[in-house]
Formats: sequence, structure tokens, C-alpha cells
Amino acid sequence: MTSKQQMKIEDIIAEYKRNPYQVFTISTPHTGIVSLKVTKGQKVQGTTGKWLERKGTLLYTLVRQGNEKRFYAPIDGEITDLDESLDGQFVEAKTPLMSIKHKLSKEEAINKVLEKFLEIYNAPETAKYYLAPELYQKIEQKGLKKALINPGEELLIMSRMKRDVVLNYEGRPGIIYVIYFKPNTTVNQGDPLLGICPPEQLEFISHLVKRIYLEWE
Amino acid sequence: MIELEKQLLFLEKRLIYLNDIKGEIFGERLNTLQNWLAKLKEQLYTLSAKDVQKNINKISAQISLYEKEAEKKLTPLDYVRIVRHPFRISLKDILENVYDDYVELAGADECNIDPAVVAARATINRKVGHRIYTYQVMVIGHEKGHGEEFRNGGSAKPWGNAKALQFMKVAETEGIPIHSYIFTPGAFPIEDYPGAAQQIARNLYAMAGIRVPIIAFISEGGSGGAEAIGLADLRLMFSHGYYSVISPEGAAAIEGKLKEGKKASPELIRFCAEQLKITAKDNLQLGTIDRIIQEPPLGAKREDYDFFNRLKREVIKATDEVILSVKSLGTLRAYHYKKNGYKDTDNIYVRWQLDEKEIQRLIQKRRQKYRNMGTNFYVDLRSPLHRKVSNLKDKFLYAKTYICYDLLRRPRRRIQQFSEEIKAELLVIFNHLLSPLVKLRNKILPPKLSYLVSEELQEMEKVCLRGGYVSPRAKVDKTISCPNAERYGCYDIWIPDLYSEFCGICPNCGHHFPLEYQWYIHCLFDKNSVKEFNAEIASINPLNYKGFDEKLEEARQKTGRHSAIITFDAKILGIELIVAMLYSDFRGGTVGAAEGEKFVLACERAKRLRRPLLAYVHGTAGIRIQEGTIGVIQMPKCTVAVREYLEAGGLYIVVYDNNSYAGPVASFLGCAPYQFAIRSSKIGFAGPRVIRETTGEDIPPDYHSARNALRRGHIQGIWDRRDFRKNLYMALRTMGGKNLYYR
Amino acid sequence: MEKVLIANRGEIAIRIMRACKALGLEYVVVYTEEDRDSEHVRLGRENGGKVFRIASYTDPNEILEIADFARCTAIHPGYGFLAENYRFARRVTQRSRPLIFIGPRPEVIKELGSKINTKSIAKRLGIPVIPGSDRPIYNEVEAENIGIKLFHQQWEEGIKHPAILVKASAGGGGMGIEEVYDLNQLRAVYRRIKRYAKKHFGDEGVLLEKKLSDFNHIEVQLVCSRHGERVHFGTRNCTIQSIFRQKRIEVAPAFDPDYRYQFDPNEITEKIVSYSLKMAAYLGYDNVGTWEWIVTPEGKFYLLEVNPRIQVESGVSGFISQIKKQPRGVDLVKEQIRLALGEKLKYKQKHISFHGCSIEFRIIAEDTLHGFRPWGGTITKFKLPQHDWLQVHTHVPQDRPYAIPSDYDPNLALILVWGESVAQAKERGKRLLEEIVIEGKNNQGEEIITNIEFLKERLNSIQRFAT
Repeated sequence: MTSKQQMKIEDIIAEYKRNPYQVFTISTPHTGIVSLKVTKGQKVQGTTGKWLERKGTLLYTLVRQGNEKRFYAPIDGEITDLDESLDGQFVEAKTPLMSIKHKLSKEEAINKVLEKFLEIYNAPETAKYYLAPELYQKIEQKGLKKALINPGEELLIMSRMKRDVVLNYEGRPGIIYVIYFKPNTTVNQGDPLLGICPPEQLEFISHLVKRIYLEWE
Repeated sequence: MIELEKQLLFLEKRLIYLNDIKGEIFGERLNTLQNWLAKLKEQLYTLSAKDVQKNINKISAQISLYEKEAEKKLTPLDYVRIVRHPFRISLKDILENVYDDYVELAGADECNIDPAVVAARATINRKVGHRIYTYQVMVIGHEKGHGEEFRNGGSAKPWGNAKALQFMKVAETEGIPIHSYIFTPGAFPIEDYPGAAQQIARNLYAMAGIRVPIIAFISEGGSGGAEAIGLADLRLMFSHGYYSVISPEGAAAIEGKLKEGKKASPELIRFCAEQLKITAKDNLQLGTIDRIIQEPPLGAKREDYDFFNRLKREVIKATDEVILSVKSLGTLRAYHYKKNGYKDTDNIYVRWQLDEKEIQRLIQKRRQKYRNMGTNFYVDLRSPLHRKVSNLKDKFLYAKTYICYDLLRRPRRRIQQFSEEIKAELLVIFNHLLSPLVKLRNKILPPKLSYLVSEELQEMEKVCLRGGYVSPRAKVDKTISCPNAERYGCYDIWIPDLYSEFCGICPNCGHHFPLEYQWYIHCLFDKNSVKEFNAEIASINPLNYKGFDEKLEEARQKTGRHSAIITFDAKILGIELIVAMLYSDFRGGTVGAAEGEKFVLACERAKRLRRPLLAYVHGTAGIRIQEGTIGVIQMPKCTVAVREYLEAGGLYIVVYDNNSYAGPVASFLGCAPYQFAIRSSKIGFAGPRVIRETTGEDIPPDYHSARNALRRGHIQGIWDRRDFRKNLYMALRTMGGKNLYYR
Repeated sequence: MEKVLIANRGEIAIRIMRACKALGLEYVVVYTEEDRDSEHVRLGRENGGKVFRIASYTDPNEILEIADFARCTAIHPGYGFLAENYRFARRVTQRSRPLIFIGPRPEVIKELGSKINTKSIAKRLGIPVIPGSDRPIYNEVEAENIGIKLFHQQWEEGIKHPAILVKASAGGGGMGIEEVYDLNQLRAVYRRIKRYAKKHFGDEGVLLEKKLSDFNHIEVQLVCSRHGERVHFGTRNCTIQSIFRQKRIEVAPAFDPDYRYQFDPNEITEKIVSYSLKMAAYLGYDNVGTWEWIVTPEGKFYLLEVNPRIQVESGVSGFISQIKKQPRGVDLVKEQIRLALGEKLKYKQKHISFHGCSIEFRIIAEDTLHGFRPWGGTITKFKLPQHDWLQVHTHVPQDRPYAIPSDYDPNLALILVWGESVAQAKERGKRLLEEIVIEGKNNQGEEIITNIEFLKERLNSIQRFAT
């Protein structure tokens, strides 16, 4: 590792140490009558469990057409910007209700830092994205950080204006390290979709991860 | 002195054991003894040997007294404590002390595919007069290993049971008897191939037809795990063992409707242990075992050599009994046994080998044994006259089938086959003669307009689901969320649509919402073809389990039915079949004596009428725990019936739906050659909670999903509910072929 | 008073809004986050109108929740989205707070929902349909039998190189279709399509049909009331389509009166109109609807399908129509709403007359040279000409930049011209296409691509056959 890289890592770590928070806005997915179940400043717990099978703190319920749905905290943190006036009211889709101020954990900080070192595949257009079926299967079988993608192979399916376009991978062979998008949600143009790591970089990346592990408190 | 020290140590152990099993009834008294013993130990080298011995004798006598006192006060829960105690005899002790020689097969200690299961080729000697005869046997059983951790408490993994089956087959090939020793709290509930449930089912199926005698000895008979090696010709039980449908703790958790992680109160556990009728005496009374082998007070421990001697005699006697009961004997011996019974065999040599005829008799007798089990524990609500009439009807039907299929069909089919052969021969000659002409014509003319003939064309039209049934759930103007909404972006579904047109299926992702069993009866089979039989066979409360009468009544009120299984005749596009349907509305679809009997009767009916048999599992939570081991023995009983049906040439198809778990899957369902699952159903041996509690590990939420069951090879396919009728029809056609004998 | 929920977006939402205003009805507009800059939202807010943000136009629960909250009494589904979803129509009318569905009865929508069912109804009524299977085929042997029959029929008709189409019966929009030129290929193709259909549509039913190589796509516009009254508003010719069979230019009337066809256009028109009316009567059809026909150069015609909804191109029929002595121009959207609310027709067939010719152009941001690929980006300048012979429907604002949302088709505008004759209409069409000004750039800074050149080029071949 060059000293330049070393410096960079240190800068980044310092920056995250200064402000180790990320704010998540919680908005209603659709219309309905909302009932808030948390108070301002309350600490909430996110999804847990090995398979993310245990739900977090109940944030609010939304009743639409006789169906009460419960919405849980996706992540640990503290409730801020709670709009209490909406409690018991009818709301439109995508109405912001509250924010969760989340303190980055060691792993998340690592992921954030990794974004700067991995080759990030950004969304070429604002569209919905899906993993290409073959790649999806590969990841299902082998798991993330194991599946290798070669140039020319199908990477993603971009779905926009009712048309599906296959995106082929270009560039050096790499390992799919992180997936940033969720299927069936619109990704804005330029947002990260995938983090790809060239196989020979794997060692450096794991070294980096170790460094942060040691230094992050 | 060393001898005395040994004796002291032994006393100490006895005291510890006594304290562990029944300490609470003695209170201070045990402490006094303990102090006495401790003091004696200190003074071992100061006192004279004689004095020490005197003291030892005194203490020993006192302990014996206490042991006898404790023995009298043993409660069912104490038996559980006894068999789980590390001092309890284990299979290895029996191999060492009862058999004269043995070679352990497939693994040693930790280096073993499953250390909880031990298989050994063993010899056992018998002295008759001055001669010594040596018998060869296969010993298979669970090894608890006196608390060795890697033995897993004698809880067999699926591959452990597979190993047991492997060596049963070896014994079968070699023609030597199998002695199986059951020391298990239950099977290890994991689904990895070959699967806890499926492997037990395979074992049961195999044992229902194994061609050598099997003698089982039960010390700890934990439900399905016990049955995996327990379908025997003779079942003996140690007097201080227990044999139960579920551990008392497990029963208490269900009884108390406890949330996960909460422990049941000791009172509730004791209550359950008492209600479940788990002791040897209880089981003898229920007819689930044949005999009890008496143990010393508070149960046999590894140093009880007298017991091993007794056990040896019992082992030989039991094997003799099985052999002799099917053997064709000379006149003198026949007279002797007739007079004295098979039990008195001490002084006569019995060859432990059977000829073909005797083997058939053995298997027949074994099957009959299980057929008759539990027949006293349900009621037939029909009046005697009614029963007679329907019996007569059935007999008429059977006779008709016999005439149609056996007497008339066979010769006719032979003639038909013969004429087809002749036609084919002639065609060859004809084609040879005409081939130049045909070639010429093909050159000149465009291909002739010729239709292919297929009689099935029209039939395919009718295999779509039948409509006309509207679920009562469809009447609410509300919406419901699909559980996969987050993953697949499914919209909320309007309930009236979901439960009518959508057949309870999310139109976006295909998730199947549960539907009531009536839907299947109405939509799956031809109109007016469903005719139920044996509806009047009713579940009762055979163990007088407290509070169960009320629950049973509640189930009856709710469903208007008398048991958790519905058996009926039905048709799919004219193909007649017999259906046995377990449904969850009645006590969770649990199987007890009535359900088992009805299933067996359905098998027999299908066999006699030469019809395919469909077991549709709308849901089952397993064996009905309130029926105790009466419930457990439905596993071998029904499996035997399935085997008889299949051997007679039947086509048996199982379709799982919703939640299908435990005993039934581990026996008469899991042994089916064709098993399918409806999408979104869950199939397995034990639920997530039990798995977590026994294995200490979390399982993924989709652990029991049909997809995973398919991946593991437990089932043959996943069916969409909308394709159920079509797939069933196709299955009947393709698996039965064109020459289905019941068409 | 009735209050209409407009369950659609873009230009049709605007047209419905106008029709409601003209009828003096209240209305409520919905939109999705992606559509926040659309003109239909701005117009909805005009005069204190209320608009609601919803998650999706295709989620019935969103639409009905707004309908309940805003106390609407009727729902107009427009076209696309929920318009032909009979379950939605049924739910709207059968829920505990029933609403009026502006469209035909759900039963009718259901009957016409599948092409196969439409075909078999037509057959029952003696209406010609494209030769082939009239129900989904699940059986290979049967598929082969039909294939053999179709080839022989074509041989008998003297067609030298017969061909058939094998389609997934549940498919649509050009997906899961293959052509077969050789009977020996049929089995392989059948199996391929069957697998494809099973995978993509969940149903392995397959259709076989005679393949027609040259034809015109003709439509008959019907208008029916809930009281059993039925009239037609003439025919349209929608032959100019994209490679995915999406219409690009529509003309009313269907045939050019100044051109000599191999057949008598009046006779064909009369026949398909009367067949359409016959089928509408049989079905008890009770709202606006379009009967789509295929006409060959020899004058053979076959019913293709029925669209039980208002169509994009309804405007061209309205443009040339006149009722009694009222000025020329009928708003069929207005008629649709009025009739769905239970009004009587108030005029008869003899009161409807047709004058001149109208052509509609669909202006779309797409690359017609590269597989009609949709173009995405921001429109910076959009100027449409104004003439008294012109109608424009657009949701694209002309006074501010507009980013084309990626979730929907990049349709920009519908422009309709009218002329005394086909020739004049064509002339005006050409002029119009020259006058349109569209500027825009995408994220890579590339200039906007539209289909205007394609429209210009294809304008010459309207109402004509290839041979």
C-alpha cells in the first residue's frame, strides 16, 4: 500500500469520526390514514436476525381500504423531525412522516469507505433495475463477494418506459462486492447500483476493511 | 483397602443417583447419609478394615431401603429423569454385557457419520444342556454414551437413521435377526438430506416388509425417533423406561401455549407427564408394547450385572418367541409350546433361521400386529344395523371389482395383446409390398391432409378447475397484503377477488393464501363424485387426558365432523380414486386412533377396489399428543397399510399443503413414492421452535418451504393450486400409464 | 352532483377534465411523484381543484382510497392502466360504497378481455375471424392438426408460400409470437412458444393463426348507452404502427374515397360496421367501444379484437362527425361520461354525419431508426402550431422545461388535423409536422430524438396497402 493511499484512508476515517451519522427519511409508501406509534427522540431498533427476519420497532400504521399495515424501523437510531400533526390524518403517497438519525456502525462505515475504493457501477438512467437472471443465480448460489463477472456478460436489466434493456458488463473482470439497489424501486440516474472489486484488489480491500475495524471506535 | 475404597465410591454414586432421581422426598435424611459417608471416607485409613466394612454394609442397607422407598413413590416424570441420567445403562453397556462378542459397524465413537446411532454385528451364546450355541444378530440402537456430548443424547440425525436402515438391510441379506434398542429422546429435527421425517418414513416402510425378525427394546422411546427403528415383531420395554409421543416439556409448552423462550412451570410439566401415560405399565395396558423387562429399583445402571444377565435371557427368549410363532415345528416341540407357551424356551435350542414360507408368515404376522393396534381407541357411531348394511354394500362392491378385474379383464387383455401383435406383423409385410408406390405418390402430391387421432383432446378441456364454490371468506369489502409485497411489489389484493377468482393466489407473485378444505372438495373433483365413507368413525379421549374432552367437543362443534381425516371416493375426469384428506380445522389435523383407522380403511378399500389413492394433506400438526403412544403407533400402523397397498400394485400420491409436519410426514405420507406440495406450503419434521430448542440454532424463515423441500429431494414437485386438478389428472395418467388397472 | 375521479395521467387526464367541465361535473385528479411536473397536475389545481399524490396509477387500492376520501361518485379510467381490468370495474361497482365505472359493464369487459373469447363469440355470430384456433391449445397433437389444416387451406386458396403464426395465448404486444413456414418446424416452434408462455404468462396455452402479410388495420367506433341505444361514429384506419404494433398515425375515415381499391370500400365499411353493431347488440354493450378489424388488399376482412374503452384516437372520429345541425366536432370522451352516468343518447344514427378527413399524429420521443427505443431527457423548448383546423392534446408544458418521467411511455402530444379531403388533410399534416419545435437534451448532452421524421415519411402511405 502506498503512503498516499494510507493518507487517504486516514482522512476518510477522520471524516466519518467527525460526523458518524446518517439520516433516513421515513415516508408513507401509499395513501391512507396514518397512526404514529413513536415519539420524538425515541430510540428505535432496526430489522435484526440472521435473515433479517425479526422486525424492528413499530413506527406507524397505515389503513387503506380496510387493510391496516404496520411499518417498522428499517434501522437503529433516534426519531427526529416527527410530524405529529399527521397522526390520525389521511395522507398522500410519499408523505414524509419522520426521520431516523442513525449512528453508523463499524460495518456501515466500512461500506461507506468501500464505496470510495470499489469500482462503482452507477445507474446510467433513472429507471428500475434488476440483476440479470444468470448473475442473480450466480449470487444466489455462491453469495455476494464470491460471484465473478466477466466483460461481455449480462449484468443488469434496466426497465424504463415499459421497455427492458439488458446492460452488459464492460471493464475488467470483477467480483460483485455490494448491491446498492432494491428491485422494483426506481433508481435515480447516477446513483450507485453495484460495487465491483477486481479480483487482484480483493486483498487490498480486505486489508482496508481490517484497518477500519481496528481504528473505528 | 482398594476394595473398600471402591465400595465407598460405589456407595457415593448410588447416593448421588438417589438424590438426583428422588432426593426431594428424603430431605435431611440423605444429608445424614452423605455426611456419614464422607466421614467414613476420611477415616478410611484410621479405622480398621472390619469397621469400615461394617459401616459400608450399614450405609448400603440404608441406601437400599431408601431406594425401595423411592421406587414406590416414582412418578411418571421420575422415569424421564431416570432414563436421562448419565448413570443409566446405555447400548454400549448392553453390547458389552449382554452379547458375547460384537463388532461395531460404520464408525467408532466420534469418528462416525452419526455417533447417536450404533450398529453392531454381535453374537450371543446360549447354553442348552452342555452345549453352547452361538447366534449371530444385528444390533441397532441409539447410544446416549453416559452424557458424552458428541452422542447428542441419542438423538439420531437423518443420516443416522439411514445408517440404521442400511444395516437392517444387511441383516436381511444375511438372514439374521435384528435387535433394536431404543434410547432416544426423539429424532434430531433437521431437514438436510435425507431429512428427519422422510428417513423415518423410509425406515418404517422398509421394516414393514423386512424378512428377518425384529425385536425392539425400549428404554427411552421418544416418539418418531423411536419408531425409526421400532417397527418390530415384538416390542419389549424396560420397566423404568418411558415411551411417549412427546417429551413432557414439549407437551407442557404446547399445553401452556407458551411463547418462545419461556419455560413451562414444573407443575405443568408434571401434569403432562402424568396425562401422557408414558410409563411401561401404561404402555402395556394400551397395547403399544408386548412385555416389560423388570429393572432393579430406580432403574438399571451400568453396574447392575444381574440385570444384564436377566436381559440376556429375555433377549434370547423374545427372539425365540418370534421365531417359534411362525416356524413349522415337529410334533413334539409343537406339543410342548402349545402346552407351555413360547416363553419357556430356556432348555430347548431354537434355530434362528426361517425358510421362505415362514418368512411370509413372519411378515404377515407383523403386519397384522400393527393393523390391530389401537383399534379399541375410537368409536364407530353407526348403529349395528347400519354397520351391517354398509358392510354388505362394500362386500358387494368388492365382489364386483373382483369379477370385473380379475376374472374377466385378464383373459380379455391377453386376447387383445395377441391381436395387436398380429396386426403389427401384417403391417410390416404390407408396407414392404407397397413401399415403391407410396414413395411415388409422395413425390407427386402435396402431403395428404391427415389428422392425428387422439382421444384425450377433449378431455384436456375439462381439467380446468371446477368453479361454483365461493369461499365464505370472500364476503368482506377489504384488502389484504401479500406477504411477499416488499420483495415483488405486489399490490394489496381485494379480498372478494382473492378468495373467488384468484383461488387464494396473489396474482402478482403467486403466493398461495390458505384456503379452507371445502374448496378442494368442491373444486378438485368431478361434480357429485365425492362420496364420503367411514364418517362415523370418531375420535375419543383414550387416555382420559384432562381437559381434552372439552377440546374434542369444541372441534366437533366447529367442524360438524368426528375426526381430523375425511376419506371419500371421488372422480377426476372419470378416473375413480380414493382420497384421504387430513384437514387442520379439527385439532390441527392431528392423527390419533380414529384417523389412523380411517386411513388404513381407505388403503384397504383402494386396494380392494383397485383404485389410486390420494392423500391430500390440507394440514397436519403431527400425531395427536393427547392420545399418547396410541397416537405414535399410528405411524407404523398406517405405513404398513400403505406398503400392503403398494405391493398389491396401487398408485399412491401424496400432496402436501399449508403446514404438514411431524409424525404423519415421518410415516405414511413420507413413504409415498410420489409426493408433491402445493406452492407456499411448508413441510417438515419439527417446527422452528422445536428446532431452535433442540439444536440451539436458528433456522432461516423459509427453512420448511416447499421449494427447499424440493431442493432437498423430499418431494417430487411443486404444484400451483390452480393446476391441482390438471396435474393430478396428468399424474394419474402418466404414472399409471395407459393400462391403469383401475380404468 | 356527480364527482369524477380521473384515474389516469397525461393528455387523456386533461381531455377527461375538459369533458367534465363541459358537462358541469366536479372532478378529482391524481398523480404520481414522477408526474409532478405534468400539465395535468397543474390544470387539476386550477380553480382550487384538489389533486392527490398516489403511489401508482395501476394500484386499484390507491384509486379507491382517494375516491372514498374525496367523496367521488364515479371513476374514469381513461385508457391503459386500469381501463380494461374487469376486476377493477367490478370492484368499483360492487364494493360497499359503490361507484359508477365510466366504461362498459364489467361482464362485457371480461368477455372481451381475451382475444380468444372474442374470437369464439364472433364465430358464434357468423362474424369472420382470422382462420386458426379459437381457443388456447394445450396439446401438441391438436396443435399439429390445426397447423396441417391451416396450411392446406392456404394451399387451396392458391397461396404458394403459406405461413402461420404461433402465439402465446396469454401474450400481447408482440411478445411470444413466431412464424412458421414449414410444417416440419411446427412442433419445435410450438414447444418453444409453450415454454415461453408458461414462463412469462403463467399459462402454456398457445394459439395458431393464418399469417397475413399485407393488411390494413381498420377500426369501427361505437357509442352505446345504458338504455340499449347503439350508434357508430364511422371508421378509422390505424395501419401506420411501430414495429411493436403500436399506432403512430390514425385516419378517419378508414378508406380514401378518391382512391381505387381492389374492393368496394363502401361495401366493406358497411359490412364491418353492421357486424360490429350486431356483436355489440349481442353483448348488450353499453358504453363507447372500438371494434378492430383486419382488411386484406382483396377485401377480405376479419375481426381482430374489441377494445371496451375510450381510445387514444377517438378524436379523429369526433373531428369529422357532426350531430344534427350542431357545429362539426363531437367530443367522444364527453359522450362516454354522459352515457356512463345513465343519460340517454338523445340522437339517432341518421342524425350523425361525417365531413372531410382527420389525421392524428402521435408525437413521441423515440428513436424510430433503432427499434423505436424510447428517449429520456429534458425538453427545453416545445412549441406547437395553432390553426383552426388543428387539435392538440398534450400534458407537456410549453412554458417551462420538462423532464420526461422514466416510468411511462415518452408520449409528448397528440396532434389532429382536419381537411375537406384526404389530400388537404395530408397537406395540412405535412405543414404541421414542419412547424413543430422541440428541443431538449438528455443526461449525456445529446439532442432529443423524436418520431417526427418517421411520421412525415409514413404520412404518404396512409390508407394504402403494401402491394
